[in-house]
Amino acid sequence: MNENEPSMPPAAGIHRRDFVKGAALTGAAIIGGGIVMAQDISQKISKAMTGGAQVPQKPLGKTGLKVSALGIGGYHLGTAKDQDEANQIVAQAIDAGVNFFDNAWEYHEGESENRMGQALKGKRDKVVLMTKVCTHGRGKDVAMRMLEESLRRLQTDHLDIWQIHEVVYHNDPELIFKPGGAAEALLEAKKQGKVRFIGFTGHKDPAIHLKMLSHDFPFDTVQMPLNCFDATFRSFETQVLPEANKRGIAALGMKSLGGSGEMVTSGTITPEEGLRYAMSLSVATTISGIDSLDVLEQNLEIARNFKPMSDAEMAALRERCRKLAGDGRFERFKTTKMYDGDLGREQHGYPPAKELPI
Amino acid sequence: MSAIPLREFGKTGVKISALGLGGHHLGDAADEKTAIKIVREAVDGGITFFDNCWEYNRGKSENWMGKGLKGLRDKVFLMTKVCTHGRDATLGMQMLEESLRRLQTDHLDLWQIHGVAFDNDPDLFIRPGGAAEALAKAKEQGKTRFLGFTGHRDPTIHLKMLDTGFLFDSVQMPLNPFDYSFHSFEQLVLPRLVEKGIAPLGMKPLTGKAEPLKKTILTPDQMLQYAMSLPVATTITGMEKLDVLYQNLKIAQGFQPLSVAEMDAIRKQCGALAADGRFEHYKVSLQFDNPEARLAHGFPIDPQQKEVKEMLQETDNTGRPFPILKS
Repeated sequence: MNENEPSMPPAAGIHRRDFVKGAALTGAAIIGGGIVMAQDISQKISKAMTGGAQVPQKPLGKTGLKVSALGIGGYHLGTAKDQDEANQIVAQAIDAGVNFFDNAWEYHEGESENRMGQALKGKRDKVVLMTKVCTHGRGKDVAMRMLEESLRRLQTDHLDIWQIHEVVYHNDPELIFKPGGAAEALLEAKKQGKVRFIGFTGHKDPAIHLKMLSHDFPFDTVQMPLNCFDATFRSFETQVLPEANKRGIAALGMKSLGGSGEMVTSGTITPEEGLRYAMSLSVATTISGIDSLDVLEQNLEIARNFKPMSDAEMAALRERCRKLAGDGRFERFKTTKMYDGDLGREQHGYPPAKELPI
Repeated sequence: MSAIPLREFGKTGVKISALGLGGHHLGDAADEKTAIKIVREAVDGGITFFDNCWEYNRGKSENWMGKGLKGLRDKVFLMTKVCTHGRDATLGMQMLEESLRRLQTDHLDLWQIHGVAFDNDPDLFIRPGGAAEALAKAKEQGKTRFLGFTGHRDPTIHLKMLDTGFLFDSVQMPLNPFDYSFHSFEQLVLPRLVEKGIAPLGMKPLTGKAEPLKKTILTPDQMLQYAMSLPVATTITGMEKLDVLYQNLKIAQGFQPLSVAEMDAIRKQCGALAADGRFEHYKVSLQFDNPEARLAHGFPIDPQQKEVKEMLQETDNTGRPFPILKS
């Protein structure tokens, strides 16, 4: 199945994991006939139930899971007004067919995970839940303690995906794969059944991602910035995405609008152009930071009506951004320390970002 | 006193001193008299490689070097750079004439494209009417013997420049122990130059602003020795004071390269510190962008930046990227 061809989620009421289990048991080949028909029916059912189209879903690499083409970013859930708004964002997203939820141990010192845990109460089985471990070079023991804390905050006994957070420094791959390093924690957690799939993420440099991928390690997912500016500046799209696709590792896109929406607020592109471009790439999902119901509605509207851009449309948008992209000011997560967490910097023995020039 | 070793300038048969004098810092000397003295004592001390650039200190660097080299022109290998930043060959040729006049010479030994820093620079360089045509023309006219380019931003952009197929005699890049562990020119670009017989010119042996020294991670001796021990034709370093010149001459005269083990030890010493790039701001930070180049590319500039303030103070600045050329 072409990853760019989204299919519809199963009907509400069918338990996500039951459905997935069924599909997994019968093997991948079956995803042709029977299940597609079931999905056609489910499409109609869910349309009737919600009064509108659902956010399409795509396969999560080789895992057998399917995830919504739009994912909810955990960081921004922590910047939403309060728990009540977070609850509404999560509930309305799920109603619209979103099932991918992103988080990290260190977001808002745990508040993002706490809020998501609360908001997902009773809905855990409907979603693919991911969080990230923040060892920043430290070892397996630290990682396993963080995992327990994440599970407690998220009010669940297992994660669907557990990723190493913020792989952004050039010595990170070395630290992660050292004996007793965080890579071992990923395998251990999987063995213990506390996580189903494992991956890593970083916003800085395709070369560092490729170094991570050069290790013979069974990553299921890899998260990276993907947007229409990235295509022509230190590009994850041209350097890392093909490698992930080739190996069947699910690619998770992020920073579709520049990390803080600067591509949109500068008047350079519309949110629709930015999101559609990112979602049209061969990714499993595009994780989007949503800190209010307004932003949610805007992004859901784009995702519900999502039709992949044609190659020509994508090329035209890349071309429009190329000249502006060349100095990296629209992707400050690549060119500055503004997006590098102080916790990670501290663990590496680096001074906080605010003490350095931009 | 032992001499500064001379090394092959690529496959040209020409030899240059293993230490080169950087033109930017010459313009930061206390005054013209000091700058002239630095140049003359550098030549006396065995430095033959002189670096400069059309836009350094808005011409002051070339003017002072021209005065310092009066009567010594034939003893040195003189390089300056052209600052088209993506613009036309015609502008490049105008800049060349201005550089020659300021440097008081009828030819350069080496003329390089300055500040290759943005991802689309290689495309702009090689396009019809682009600066590549100026380079070729200058060589044809005998106004320069050799051609090259320089940049401090990103090894992959350097590789793209080499991929244009233009026949460069030299390539200049930052080379220091921190570079080895962060977006490394040493690992990505240097081997290709050595293989092709293109002369590698090292710069920023002390990482530009000598920050590692301020933090006493490495001594200046260690840093400079490391850079000079790489397979480069020369290592260009800035010397705005006579003291700095003397200190560098002491290291360079009779220089013996470090052993492989010593090099590895130094790399290890700064590997983890280098990994976030804070010691090599020129590779990562927008703040270190050249404002002229930013304007030429249509990128916004920061009016608070020192270089921008200087640029805007120029009375003959028309508000466009460059003041009107006087030639």
